[in-house]
Amino acid sequence: MSATLLQPAFADPVLDAQRSFRAALKALAGPGVTQSLLSAQTPPHLEGLASASHALCLALLDIDTPLWLAPKFDTQAIRANLTFHCGCPIVSDRQNARFALLDDSQLHDLSGFDLGNDRYPDQSCTLLIQLPSLQGGRQVALRGPGIETQNHVSLPLQEAFWEAREAHNDFPRGIDVFFLAGSELMGLPRSTQVAFKKGGA
Amino acid sequence: MTATSAPATAPEHAARQHWIGVLSRTRRAELLRHENALRDAEYQVIRAPEIGMTLVRGRMGGSGAPFNVGEMSVTRCVVRLADGRTGYSYLAGRDKAHAELAALADAHLQGAQQAHWMRELIEPLAQAQAARRSRQQAETAATKVEFFTLVRGEN
Repeated sequence: MSATLLQPAFADPVLDAQRSFRAALKALAGPGVTQSLLSAQTPPHLEGLASASHALCLALLDIDTPLWLAPKFDTQAIRANLTFHCGCPIVSDRQNARFALLDDSQLHDLSGFDLGNDRYPDQSCTLLIQLPSLQGGRQVALRGPGIETQNHVSLPLQEAFWEAREAHNDFPRGIDVFFLAGSELMGLPRSTQVAFKKGGA
Repeated sequence: MTATSAPATAPEHAARQHWIGVLSRTRRAELLRHENALRDAEYQVIRAPEIGMTLVRGRMGGSGAPFNVGEMSVTRCVVRLADGRTGYSYLAGRDKAHAELAALADAHLQGAQQAHWMRELIEPLAQAQAARRSRQQAETAATKVEFFTLVRGEN
């Protein structure tokens, strides 16, 4: 048994999960706008996970949402705590996952994740991508639903990520992404169009 | 899954099933008497006592097709002592204090002082439950009605 690895989750399970869920909704409704979780509503530190990642896992995952873990997050502590507190199955093949937890070493390759289908595009896999920071990369302009004109973000992402996202975006099928760093999160739904500063895309 | 469980660990499982069963049938007041002793340890609440519902299923005549009897409220709790022992409790009803004490008792019972806790806590509680059950059975038995049919003089 991995019982010794278990640790407490949200202090107030119902309200803290609802607050985190609300932040996730706002992040997807306004792509490129940073949402912050208050430290009082985030769960205690879990080795390897940023507090926003941990909070979103606890708020979003349950017995019906198979989770795929990137090798960096596939630790005994994370497995034990997420299966205990969320009850989510952890799967080894991307195709069966409804959520996936990734770090920045995985972002050049988004193959295998379920994009949903034309009748049920909502059945796609949602990516939770943990980054060291939400700033510091090349600036891109986001346009699309939820954005009045343009939102400029400078996520620390390689070119390869934007290409991989483009390759796995066949609207209405596609992948929705949350970027997480520390206690902050930012949403990037499939409907958002990305333009690089100097033309291109 | 089939009904064959790992036989190697069966005695430990049976002992734990026994005390968890006793703790779940205990009355709140009986467990509160031991509250100070149970809480006299450093511990952390892993899953704070929470109330939920569970679907109770039964089988016709004990062995027939399964059917849903109904839903009942259940309180569960998980605690961990400073040395890493983890105690679980699942109780019928909505009593959070009771669930926490039962989880603490489960954690204590897995440790080196198991004999002490069995003697002080589980055995008296099990005896009280057995006494309650036999008293109720006696009361029920007193109301038993024997139906009989007079033998007709056919032979």
